Amino acid sequence: MISRVAEHCFWLARYLERSENTARVLEVNHTLLLDFHVPVEQQWRPALIISGIHDYAEEPTAERVQAFMTWDRENPFSIASSLAWARENARIIREVISAEMWERMNHYHLWMQAPESRELYDGNRSEFYAEVRRINQLLHGIADATMSHGEAWEFFKLGTYLERVSQTARIMDVKYHTLLPKVEDVGSPVDNAHWVAILMSCSGYEPFHKKARAAPMDPATAVAEFLIFDEQFPRSIKRCLWECESATAAAAGNPVGRDRTKPERLIGELIAYLDARAIPDVIREGLHETLTHVVDSVHRIGEAVHAAFFAADVRPPGSGVRPGPATVTQSQSQS
Amino acid sequence: MPRLFDGYSAHPAAWDELFNRTGAPHAHCATLVDRLGKLKHNEFQLKRSGADLAFVNQGITFSVYSDRRGVEKIFPFDLIPRTIPAAEWAALEKGLVQRVQALNLFLYDVYHEQKILREGVVPAELVLGSKGFRKEVVGFRPPGGVYVHICGTDLIRDVDGQFLVLEDNGRTPSGVSYVLENRAVMKKVFPQLFADIRVRRVEDYPHRLREALASVAPAGAGAPPCVVVLSPGQYNSAYFEHSFLARHMGVELVFGADLFVHDDIVYLKTTRGPQRVDVIYRRLDDDFLDPETFRPDSLLGVPGLFRAYRAGNVTLANAVGTGVADDKAVYPYVEDMIRFYLSEEPVLKNVPTYICARPDDCAYTLAHLGELVVKAVNESGGYGMLMGPSSTAAQRAEFAEKIRENPRNYVAQPVVTLSTCPTWTEEGVAPRHLDLRPYIITGRSTWVLPGGLTRTALTKGSLVVNSSQGGGSKDSWVLEK
Repeated sequence: MISRVAEHCFWLARYLERSENTARVLEVNHTLLLDFHVPVEQQWRPALIISGIHDYAEEPTAERVQAFMTWDRENPFSIASSLAWARENARIIREVISAEMWERMNHYHLWMQAPESRELYDGNRSEFYAEVRRINQLLHGIADATMSHGEAWEFFKLGTYLERVSQTARIMDVKYHTLLPKVEDVGSPVDNAHWVAILMSCSGYEPFHKKARAAPMDPATAVAEFLIFDEQFPRSIKRCLWECESATAAAAGNPVGRDRTKPERLIGELIAYLDARAIPDVIREGLHETLTHVVDSVHRIGEAVHAAFFAADVRPPGSGVRPGPATVTQSQSQS
Repeated sequence: MPRLFDGYSAHPAAWDELFNRTGAPHAHCATLVDRLGKLKHNEFQLKRSGADLAFVNQGITFSVYSDRRGVEKIFPFDLIPRTIPAAEWAALEKGLVQRVQALNLFLYDVYHEQKILREGVVPAELVLGSKGFRKEVVGFRPPGGVYVHICGTDLIRDVDGQFLVLEDNGRTPSGVSYVLENRAVMKKVFPQLFADIRVRRVEDYPHRLREALASVAPAGAGAPPCVVVLSPGQYNSAYFEHSFLARHMGVELVFGADLFVHDDIVYLKTTRGPQRVDVIYRRLDDDFLDPETFRPDSLLGVPGLFRAYRAGNVTLANAVGTGVADDKAVYPYVEDMIRFYLSEEPVLKNVPTYICARPDDCAYTLAHLGELVVKAVNESGGYGMLMGPSSTAAQRAEFAEKIRENPRNYVAQPVVTLSTCPTWTEEGVAPRHLDLRPYIITGRSTWVLPGGLTRTALTKGSLVVNSSQGGGSKDSWVLEK
C-alpha cells in the first residue's frame, strides 16, 4: 500500500489508543483516588507525566489537570487533540478505511465539539471518560468487522499495540515511581489502592484477579509481573509486543521471523530482553530501569517502522539510483 | 399547517422547472408535485434536518481549510428535485456527446495540423495566445487519442425552456460526488418517491469512469492497468470529492509526494517498494503537474511527470493542454467546431457571447456594461465576474478599465433569466434560479451521466449559483420513459 497511507493508518490507531488511555488514567484518578489521601501533587502530576508532560507550570489541581488533559487543543496529548488528530488521519484516508468506520469517527469528532460532551463532562465525569474509552473500542470493533484484514489493517494494529506497550510501561513507571519514590521500596507492602489504581489504569483489575498463581506474592510485585509478562492479557507489555511482531511481519508480507525487517528485529530484541528475565530480576535490577528500557525501545521501534515502511526506499527495480526524497512524514508528536 | 406548495408563486418571467404558466405542474412531474405537495411544512422540515444531519455525519463537506483545524461546511442541499423528461434528456445527451467529440477533435487539431486555424474558422491568435495553450504538447498524441476524458458542461434553461450551453469545463470539473451523495440522501429521505417515479440511476458513474480511464492506458500498461487519482492534498476544497472518487472506483488516492519518476516511468511509493502507475486522473491544473516543466515553485506535482507523459508511459486525464478549449473566449466557437469537424448542426446552442478580443464586440461590451454579464476567461467559481444589472457605477468603471487594459481576457454575455425551481427558503417554498452541469466521460466511447449537478442560487433573484458564492444544490432527476 502507499507508504503515506500506511503512516496515516498507523497514526490513526495511535491517536485513538492514546485518547482511550488518557481517559482511563484520568478516570481512575478521578474515581479511585478521590478519598485517597495523597498530596495533590502526587495525585495529579502523574497523569501529566504519563503523557510526557513535564513542564506543567501551574499547580496540578484535579480540575485543572483534567481540563488540560481532556479539552486543551493547545496540548497535543489531550483527548480533544488526540481525537482531532485521529479524525484528521481518518479523513485523509477515508477511501481506505471503511465508510462505517469513518462515519463513527466523524460522529465522535462532532460530538467532542458539541455542547453535549461538555455537559456530560460537567454532569457525569465517569460516564464521559467511559464514553471516550468506548470510542476507541467501538472503532476497533467496526474496523475488525468491516475493513479488509490486509495491509492497512496490520498498520492499524501495529499502531494500536505499539502505543499500548508504551502506555502500559509509562503508567507503571510513573505510578510506581510517584507512589514509591525509592526504587528499593518496590516490593514493600503498599496500600491496596495503589496497585488497584495501576491495574485499573491498565484495565487489568479483573484479569489480574482471575489469574491463578502458584505461590503467594506481594501485590506490587504480582501486579508488575502481570502487566509486564502476562501472555494472555491484551495490555501486558509482552502480549502487546507479540502483536506488534506479528503485525509488522504481516505488513512486510513475511511470516514472523522470516526475512525480518528492522522494526521486527528490534521488537524481537525487546521480547528477548524480557524473556531473559523474571520478575525478581526486574525488581533487583530496578523496575524503573526496565520500564525505561521498554519506553526507549518503543521509541526506536517507531523510528524503524517509519524508516522501513513510511519513508520506504523508493529505488526502482534494477537501478542503483535513489531518486527524489522519500515521503515527508507528518509532524505528529510522538510520545 | 400549510402544505409544501401552498401559496407558491412562480417567478414572473423565468421558466419554472416544475410548474407551467397556468400554475399546474408540467405533465412529467405531476406525480412528484402531487406526492411532495402532500407534505406539511413541519413534515418537510423534519426531512430537511434529517438530510442535513446525514451530510454532516458523513462529512460530505467542502471549503478550503484556512488553517490546520479548518472549517468544513456542507454544501446546502435542497430536497425538492428538478426533473427532466426522457425525450428532452435524449436530445441533451446527443448534444453533449456531439460537443465533446468536437472539443476532442479541436484539441487534436490545434496541437497537430491546425486546420481550423488555417482555414480561419477560429482565429489563430485567440487559440495560440490562450493561457491554456501548451506548446509543450504540440505534436504529441495522448494515449488513446483522448484529451477531454471528463467534461462538465454548464447548461441553463432560458425563458422558453430551451437549454443553452453556458460554458464547458474541460480541465478538472468538480461536483460529481455531490450528485451521487445527493441521490443517496434523497433515497433515504424519500424512498417512496423513488418507488413511484422511475428516475434514472447515477450510481454507475465511478464504474464508468474507471473503465474509461483504463481503456486509454498507455501501451505496455499492466493488466489491469494501475489507475490512481492524484489530489493536491487534504487541504484542497475538493478533497472530499477526490477521496470519494478513489473510494468508489476502488483505486488509490495519491498526492504528488507519493509518486516519483525514474527512466520516464511513474512509480507509486508503497510500503513494499515502487509500483508502476499507468493512468492518473489528476485533479490539479497543468501548472502544478510537474515543477520541471511548468511552475518550478509548485510542490504539489511530480518532478519528471511530464517527461513520462511525453514518452507515452502514462496517461493523464484530462490531457495536458485542454485548457485551450476551456477558455471562455474559445467557447463561442464550439458550434463552428461542430460544423467544421463533424459536418453536423449543433444540437445545443451557446448563450450569445461577445469576445472582447474582437474590437466590435469590445466596443459593444463597454457601451452596455449595465446589461451584460462580463467574465474573465480564465477564472472559474464565479470569480472575476461582473453582473451588469446589479453592479454599481464604480464596479462598472473598474471593469471597463480592466477590459481596455486586456480585452483578450474578457467575454460578455447578455443576462439570461435562468430557469427557476421551487426551493425551500426561510419564507417557505419560493422560486430560485438554477443551472445544470452534466458530466460526460470519454474513453474509447462517450457516456453521459443521466442528470448532473443542479446548482441553485439561494438568494432571491440571484443568478449566481456557484458554491463558492453561497449557492446550493438539488438532485437532478432524469425520468425514464
